Amino acid sequence: MDRRPLLGRGERGFGLVGILLVLAAVALLAIFPQFVRKPYVLHMGVVLFLAIIQGQAWNVIGGYAGQYSVGHAAYFGIGAYTTMMLLELYKIPPWWGIWAAIANAMILSLLIGSITFRLRGPYFVLASISVAEIIRLAALHFKGFTRGAEGFLLSEIPPLHLFGTSIEFFTKRPFYYAALGLAAITIAVNWMVQHSKLGYYFQAIREDQDAAHSLGINLAVYKNVALAISAAFTAWAGGFYAMFVKFVDPNTVFGLDISVQIVLICIIGGIGTILGPVIGAMVLVPLSEILRNPKGLVQIGILPADSAFVSFIEARFANAHLLVYGILVVVVILFAPDGVLGVIRNTIARVRRRRAGAAAGEPAAAA
Amino acid sequence: MTVFLQSVLSGVLVGGIYALIGIGLTIIFGVMRVINFAHGELLMLGMYATWIVFTAIGLDPFLSIVIVAPVLFLWGAFLQKVFINRVLNALPQNQILLTIGLGLVMSNSIMLIFTSDYRILTTSYSSSSFTIGELSVSQPLLVAFLITAAITAGLYWFLLKTDTGQAIRATAQDRDAAQLMGINVRAMSVLAFGIGAALAGTAGALISPTYYIFPQVGGTFTLKAFVIVVLGGMGSVVGATLGGVLVGLTESLAAVYVASGLKELVVFVAFLAVLLFKPAGLLGKTRA
Repeated sequence: MDRRPLLGRGERGFGLVGILLVLAAVALLAIFPQFVRKPYVLHMGVVLFLAIIQGQAWNVIGGYAGQYSVGHAAYFGIGAYTTMMLLELYKIPPWWGIWAAIANAMILSLLIGSITFRLRGPYFVLASISVAEIIRLAALHFKGFTRGAEGFLLSEIPPLHLFGTSIEFFTKRPFYYAALGLAAITIAVNWMVQHSKLGYYFQAIREDQDAAHSLGINLAVYKNVALAISAAFTAWAGGFYAMFVKFVDPNTVFGLDISVQIVLICIIGGIGTILGPVIGAMVLVPLSEILRNPKGLVQIGILPADSAFVSFIEARFANAHLLVYGILVVVVILFAPDGVLGVIRNTIARVRRRRAGAAAGEPAAAA
Repeated sequence: MTVFLQSVLSGVLVGGIYALIGIGLTIIFGVMRVINFAHGELLMLGMYATWIVFTAIGLDPFLSIVIVAPVLFLWGAFLQKVFINRVLNALPQNQILLTIGLGLVMSNSIMLIFTSDYRILTTSYSSSSFTIGELSVSQPLLVAFLITAAITAGLYWFLLKTDTGQAIRATAQDRDAAQLMGINVRAMSVLAFGIGAALAGTAGALISPTYYIFPQVGGTFTLKAFVIVVLGGMGSVVGATLGGVLVGLTESLAAVYVASGLKELVVFVAFLAVLLFKPAGLLGKTRA
């Protein structure tokens, strides 16, 4: 199976163009809130960037190293809880708390990795799910520490003093910029990992564990490194999520739904590539956000306020927005196992081939 | 001592139903080598089917099996023919993701139709119980256990004594060899998924008088079904039967002697331990 990245290695010349394109995209997204001030649009932007971070993070262990963890809710939840609890209980602002969250998630990942990486294939998947479930059940049970199902409600994020200005977190705008910055950093780090020796080790493990092992790659070490990187960024997303949504409880941040959604972002976009999770998030987030909160379409003026569509969606889909995830993953697995990115790439290749064929074919036909 | 016996008793009763769920999953895995992550959702569909039949024509949940099981059999056969059959040779992770997707579609579709409200199916005997000595026995659970035992016995007979049953077992043992012997392995796969779905649906019908019915109820049962099947050794029907009872017992003892909120956690910890130290299952028969 060809899983060459669209950006970089193997398609020389695209590397620089690709980087410029990414920078242009980030710049465009950065000035975007100057023109569009609707909270709904900014909200969707934040959710989109969060999904990109989650997808990129999972991609390191699932896409490059080929270990399908369906238990990433463990790291997401640890990130969310650590950041939230440090702020609520010890008044430590999230921009410091997040580092503790990342450290916690990496320690947890080493613990989980050293247990589950002895298993392969479906057994690894089952083990990763059960570890996340153990943590969720423990978080529900040990109320003295985690407050159980009650969870934590955010009281207030203190203003951030930066370069002589103070930033207040009352509107969606600061969250939008923070999420955009985090997503850009995540993508940059992922790109570097993929193009480093480390990235090649990961891919060797994915393609053939035993062959990689016999070439001297220490499987246990490099799988754990991949998981630690992945866990760090997932915790980053989790901590940000807690500050943005302002509420954490075990069933939402440690739930199996989170783990599954993280995997689906990559699967639907295209696994093992930088662009894949970005495309996956761009497909999934708008669909599920519209189903979750159709009133936003009224707010931005696409639909009239009395639209029957809005009331229908609201009445029916409020909780069922995961339906699109389900339908998309079934369609992707059956018809496009390389994801949306794979479809795009195949189409480009087909068009090129046809053009080349037409160019070469015409004189032959004339002769 | 009474507490201990009481929890053993209720553990075995619940475990019988778990066994039914596990057997369905293990038959599917045995024949197709596909782990069905939508197994709990099939059980959930069984619960809703029972609820519909009960509210529409007042049919007793235990009697409704005669309707629910065939309906779920057809649904399972349909799923196999249309979806699962296409990924039989795909990567295991793609098979897993496909069944996860099917599960999401099922639970969210049910949510669209019935909303996410919890529903209760109240029968005259839902909370009735009787006592033997100092032990109290929940009547609906006992009836469910007896029906489960009868179905399991029937299934053993079917798999061991009938030609079709032997063909299913042969397919599970060696798909290629079975095909060479003239067994229609495609038909066996459809049949196996149908039986697995019917068993999950039946389990759903049996627990509907005692459990809340809601669209996401399947998730926990999917996970429990894996634990049961791995404990007993993937693909082994006898193993799944024992695994089910074992999980029921562990839960009920952990609820009493550890903490009721931690009973599932104890099961998962035990599951991890088995995965690590005895990956072929407690019965320990390794299969290629």
